[in-house]
Amino acid sequence: MKQLIELNINGRNYEVAVNPRDLLIDVIRKKIGLTGTKKGCGEGDCGACTVLIDGKPELSCIKLAIACQGQKITTIEGLAQEDGSLHPLQQSFVDHGAVQCGFCTPGMIMSSKALLDRNPNPSPQEIKHELSGNICRCTGYKKIIEAVEAAAKVWSQEGVK
Amino acid sequence: MVMNHFEYFAPRTPAETLELLGRFGSKAKILAGGTDLMILMKNRAIQPECVIDINQVQDFRTIMCEPGQGAVIGTNVKLAEIQFSEALQAKYPALSYAAGEVGSAQVRHMASLGGNTCNASPAAETPTPLAALGTKVVLSSQSGDRELPLEQFITGVRQLGLNEGEMLTRFILPEPAPRSACRYAYMGRRDAMEIDSVNMAVNLELQPDGETIRNIKLVMGSVYPRPLVSQEVPALLNGQRLIDELIETAAAAAQGEAKPIDDIRATAEYRREIVKVLARRLIQETYAAAKGV
Ligand SMILES: Cc1cc2nc3c(=O)[nH]c(=O)nc-3n(C[C@H](O)[C@H](O)[C@H](O)COP(=O)(O)OP(=O)(O)OC[C@H]3O[C@@H](n4cnc5c(N)ncnc54)[C@H](O)[C@@H]3O)c2cc1C
Ligand code: FES
Ligand code: FES
Repeated sequence: MKQLIELNINGRNYEVAVNPRDLLIDVIRKKIGLTGTKKGCGEGDCGACTVLIDGKPELSCIKLAIACQGQKITTIEGLAQEDGSLHPLQQSFVDHGAVQCGFCTPGMIMSSKALLDRNPNPSPQEIKHELSGNICRCTGYKKIIEAVEAAAKVWSQEGVK
Repeated sequence: MVMNHFEYFAPRTPAETLELLGRFGSKAKILAGGTDLMILMKNRAIQPECVIDINQVQDFRTIMCEPGQGAVIGTNVKLAEIQFSEALQAKYPALSYAAGEVGSAQVRHMASLGGNTCNASPAAETPTPLAALGTKVVLSSQSGDRELPLEQFITGVRQLGLNEGEMLTRFILPEPAPRSACRYAYMGRRDAMEIDSVNMAVNLELQPDGETIRNIKLVMGSVYPRPLVSQEVPALLNGQRLIDELIETAAAAAQGEAKPIDDIRATAEYRREIVKVLARRLIQETYAAAKGV
């Protein structure tokens, strides 16, 4: 029943054998070994598994891997520069203490990236609205919102990609 | 839980999709955003033999919204696209607003307008404004297309008026009448990621005098097994100028028509109260907005 498919993740092509029912989160974590993306609820509620598919935030826990052929998938591992320096959003989360246990962080950052790519100047209200599908049980959200606002400033000044 | 084994198809054209549907009938499930389907399959609430993924079909992803010509929205247009489309925002603000209030950003980027209707949950956001706007659905099979008003298509909780081998392919929205406005509102326990306990849309058109109501349509969600179109509100308000007592009478009439249930999200009693509050607010808002245009 397994089929060979090609997935483009963080600019690299991976050939993997999957069952049609295999979920993207499990393929990314177990078959490809990129464990930055987290699995929380598995039901679409918590946002820990958020990845970008063609630039849009999607939930890899309710997405079939086989349905992602021909699309560009970006995970948290795809954000840092080749030399290891952090993406401005990652740096901002570190600088603002927006990371505690860190379980929600990859999903938070992927959702934030999708937001800032679409609108580099969001209001705090819009940040809250667009991040409402990412649940954090540690930080109380305040520092996360601040980190995104600060990153947005860098974004609009420097035109981050 | 792990999903059952199934055969996976990703057709590229409407014709291929309809051929597969004709071949597999009720053994197949259509996969649009999967935000409902995947969860049901993961819980093994349903175990289809085959899954037809319609995300490669470009025809199902298009919005046509030209001045003066209403709009045609493909079944697999994502809710986020409806939320952010400037053309739809300008012409159908109630729909764009409702789409933007579904679930979370991730859910809105995955979930489709067609999936929201076909899921046939009484609490769904978008069928309510779609019905208020007078939307028709186009149902297609290998033997052709037919059209149905949206409120007749959803027949009950998770029940649709679909024949074997048939699917929803697009929504047809009429051009808003001059001097008309449509608005949507909802109430839930919290703002985000919350299933509505009541939602409502009102579409109101004025006569050329700019004061008298020609036509009002009030639709309620989450208070009946399917979107509930009020019969009494138009009977009370059509041909009238809006005065405070009439707003109260109409809101009370809508409240009387609602048949909500007690559930985990709210009691029936609370829901009935909210119907009145939302009806009052929306009738006032749409009346003011219609006078403004
Ligand atoms: C975390 C979370 C939060 C949510 N919050 C909300 C909310 O606030 N408000 C709300 O209304 N919904 C909410 N939902 C439910 C869901 O996201 C919506 O109903 C969504 O619009 C479904 O669209 P989809 O494209 O994902 O449908 P899918 O899951 O792909 O399909 C849903 C059903 O419709 C069938 N179907 C799909 N397209 C067609 C077609 N063209 N013809 C015939 N049958 C078809 C499928 O076979 C399936 O049975 C939420 C879901 C999740 C996971
Ligand atoms: S693990 Fe995907 S949303 Fe929670
Ligand atoms: S930092 Fe622990 S869940 Fe957010």
